[in-house]
Amino acid sequence: MSGTSKNAAIDGPSENAPPPKFNGELNVHYISYGSEKESSYLPAIRQLISKDLSEPYSIYVYRYFLYQWGDLCFMALDEDRNALLGVIVCKLEPHRGGPLRGYIAMLATRSEYRGRGIATKLVRLAVEKMIEKDADEIALETEVTNTPSLRIYENLGFLRTKRLHRYYLNGSTAFRLLLYLKPGIPFKPTFPPEFPAGYGEGHGQISQDGQGSVDEQQVERQVARMGIEEDVYGERFDVTGQ
Amino acid sequence: MPEDDLADEASHLTIDGDNPNGDDIGFAAKRLAHEARKTLSSGGGSRGIRDVTQEFAAAAKLLQPGQLVKDEYFTLFEAVGALEIMDPKMDSGYVPPGDTLEPDFDVCKGLPAEQVLWIMDELLRLTAVWHDGYPLSQTIFTSLHVDRLLSPDNRPPYHLFYGDTALLVMTTEQRLVHIVLRAYCIALVKSCALVLHTIQSQNFYEEEDFVTHLFGRELLPSTGANDAVKLIDEAVKFLDGADVDKVMRTALLERLQFARTYISLLVSDSADWNTLAAMGRSAETHKLAQPILEAFSDKVQRQLATSTPPRPMIIISWDEALERWKAICADIVEADRLTCFDVCQSPHALHRAIWAFAYREPQPNTFARAYLQTILFASEQITEGMAFFDLMLTDMRDLVLAGDVLVDPHSFLVEIPSDPRHKCSRIVETFMDKAFDEYMNLYRMVCQNRCRIRRTFTQSVAIFDSLETEAMRTDAELDGITPGIVLAGEDGPGNVTLTPLTSWVKYYKLQTMAWTIQLGFETDIYLPHELSMMYWYLMVFARRERKLLEHIERFLAARQKTFVSSRDARQDDEAAASQEWLAVLHKQADFTALLSSALWQVSELLMTLCILQPAKRDYAQEQLLYDVRMKSYLGIAHDPIPTLEEYKSATQSDRSIEDTCNNINGTIADAKSCLAYMKKTTPEQGKYIGTGEQWKREIKQLETTCVAVAVQTSQLRRVADKHGKLLGAPRDQSLKGAVEVSIPPAGSRYHDWWVVPQIREKKT
Repeated sequence: MSGTSKNAAIDGPSENAPPPKFNGELNVHYISYGSEKESSYLPAIRQLISKDLSEPYSIYVYRYFLYQWGDLCFMALDEDRNALLGVIVCKLEPHRGGPLRGYIAMLATRSEYRGRGIATKLVRLAVEKMIEKDADEIALETEVTNTPSLRIYENLGFLRTKRLHRYYLNGSTAFRLLLYLKPGIPFKPTFPPEFPAGYGEGHGQISQDGQGSVDEQQVERQVARMGIEEDVYGERFDVTGQ
Repeated sequence: MPEDDLADEASHLTIDGDNPNGDDIGFAAKRLAHEARKTLSSGGGSRGIRDVTQEFAAAAKLLQPGQLVKDEYFTLFEAVGALEIMDPKMDSGYVPPGDTLEPDFDVCKGLPAEQVLWIMDELLRLTAVWHDGYPLSQTIFTSLHVDRLLSPDNRPPYHLFYGDTALLVMTTEQRLVHIVLRAYCIALVKSCALVLHTIQSQNFYEEEDFVTHLFGRELLPSTGANDAVKLIDEAVKFLDGADVDKVMRTALLERLQFARTYISLLVSDSADWNTLAAMGRSAETHKLAQPILEAFSDKVQRQLATSTPPRPMIIISWDEALERWKAICADIVEADRLTCFDVCQSPHALHRAIWAFAYREPQPNTFARAYLQTILFASEQITEGMAFFDLMLTDMRDLVLAGDVLVDPHSFLVEIPSDPRHKCSRIVETFMDKAFDEYMNLYRMVCQNRCRIRRTFTQSVAIFDSLETEAMRTDAELDGITPGIVLAGEDGPGNVTLTPLTSWVKYYKLQTMAWTIQLGFETDIYLPHELSMMYWYLMVFARRERKLLEHIERFLAARQKTFVSSRDARQDDEAAASQEWLAVLHKQADFTALLSSALWQVSELLMTLCILQPAKRDYAQEQLLYDVRMKSYLGIAHDPIPTLEEYKSATQSDRSIEDTCNNINGTIADAKSCLAYMKKTTPEQGKYIGTGEQWKREIKQLETTCVAVAVQTSQLRRVADKHGKLLGAPRDQSLKGAVEVSIPPAGSRYHDWWVVPQIREKKT
């Protein structure tokens, strides 16, 4: 995701001194967020993810993922104290009308509990679930300097496909990581992005009112715009889908 | 959006989840629609505050927890842009308890010269930060004086004071603010407008390179650059006679002169940016300035229109800001030099010049890169007498058709429809039209940030490939009108023709493919265990390019034989120049093939000996990893790339370590002799006019790289020998644990396009 480094919570320490590492015995219990939309875990998830980020996402961002793909969200809980130790948030949908793409949007582990393989386990759970749901590929972005995060994914088989200059709001650069789960993906047709990559007869990139120019998001916005314009020209759109 | 449709849309909002209060919700939605209509029809509305707490709470009570009112088009994009009102991290309009909405500073009050000086320098510093890509809301707009000038309540001629309360009798300190500081601010703001115009008329990437957002403000639209200059001149006149300390006066005049020069340079096409750079003297008087922090405030952001919260800001010092200014000036001056008339006569020289510009250290900023693009692309031509069409035609001529009537400019002027030259010219023109965009991208996209260069070129590969289909068709059509030279086939039986347009497209396709790999090394796209395969593919692409050049050279030689010696010296000269240049390109392709071969062998050896190993990777499958990595090249229809199997069968893991090391050394020696050849190449031969310094520097870096490869190879040989493994097949050996390898990151390599693994014996 653009905006902020979503994997900030498995980065190095934040500005204040991080809490000391927990060294005791730990019984970690992994569960899926599930289909209960406003689960009681939602506030804890928000808190954990936004803790180390320079600016948080609104509740809508969390709902966007958890309402639609609650089964792709996994939580690591301290079974003894029922505290949230780590969380992963994902989605799964066709990418530009082509392959079914899983997308890891957020991954966070509490700093006291890092280095125990919790994040890796969460990623594995998400990947397994996506495979179960017939995903063709899995994608994510992470900061180029986020070595722990890169190691987790690259040790599972992800490769870097693009470098994204100043991708995050704080100006840091990201890698796009990709994992194919099935053969033949490069040959699956996709729609081109609505806003082409900026080349052409001297027209600058269209300003997106302050948002980052992420392909994914640009496509969705443009699709949304197109839908609204249809409405303006008198076509009655039944949003209930009946 | 028409008002009724908005209200209509509102009434169609859908509800997700259970719906026990269906009627209530339907009612709430209808009421919302009604309210929307009322608001929109009340003629625009006025600014004010209305407490909607009760209404909002009542409406919210109608929903159960877990019920979501979600518009179909509320996308992830919208969600990320949403903010929670009263959350200080998101709501930049939030006023903490005890704080005031607006900063408490009177911009109309007079200030001593020392403080005015500080404000001017601070604005200079902030403008440098803005140039680096930080938003106006966090840079220039934080000046309260600028904020007042740009306020939506202000009117031309944009004074700091409002209405008729003009201070007719001003003290010196008031004049310093209302005449000197005001003129300076206006000039800087108009300069921003000019910079923005340059950037936005060319290619750049919003957010990545620059933030163009104006936050709902206009940049003094009724005031022109000339008006701003006049104001500066008036301010200078005032200062000359003002009751101000002599040293202070000089310092203030320097700042005014800077602003005047800056805006004049932005307005004029042919001016010397060195004059601005010379103003670095301003640094000395800066220490006389007296800080007045209250004159700047982040609170301005509360009233600016934005959908993102403020971003983390860099702090640069005054000295660093001056360095930025100097760098901008130096870049602009260099951009002018690199695109001088002589360079622009040769497409290839121009190409080299743009790459040289892009690889300046530090990399030129967005404005400088937009400036270069403006020089080349803003008008209908690259330079005087060289239209885009001419550039492309010259490119074809230089590369594949030197001395050929097909791309002789005179052929395009033939008007007799039955003349084969006329017919062929129209066909060539049609093809050039199709190739135009992608061809110009070869110049334009090098002016983008490094990541985007690679990203664009990975997409270009497929486009060139489909252009190749078009080229083949066009070549056949041309051959039907004016049959070209036929020669015996290079590989097998049968004859071949030049297929000039196909060859031309193929060349750029292969070049672009090679660049995507080279840039991949530079941007750290490849993991250590991928080096071997990527070097192998680079070698393959370079070898193909070399073969293509040989094909072109053969036909050039054959064409030269057909020249009637008495006729046109121009033809001979053109062909001779092309021949020399093709020889250089040939050597360069040779070099790339050789160095990649050497590095492929090194990397592969490290893998075979288990020194360089990928992690276990539970979800990886060999073919799928290959698909991810080679995706951009898999769709190529013409001369498809070798498959994974073909790559694997090229392995050298049977050869002993000693033999491999010997082979690597031999390859490096050959590579070095290519460099020796290039060292002796003149700018005309190599078409590197204007970039001689860069040519020499690059050869030096490549020489060092070659030496480094030899050194690392001998390292490996030494350790293998020590363990008695020099002679056996590497496949059966392992030096795991005996050797460790590190991969130098970009920025610490001899040449960022070449990764030389560092091999070290592990101390036991």
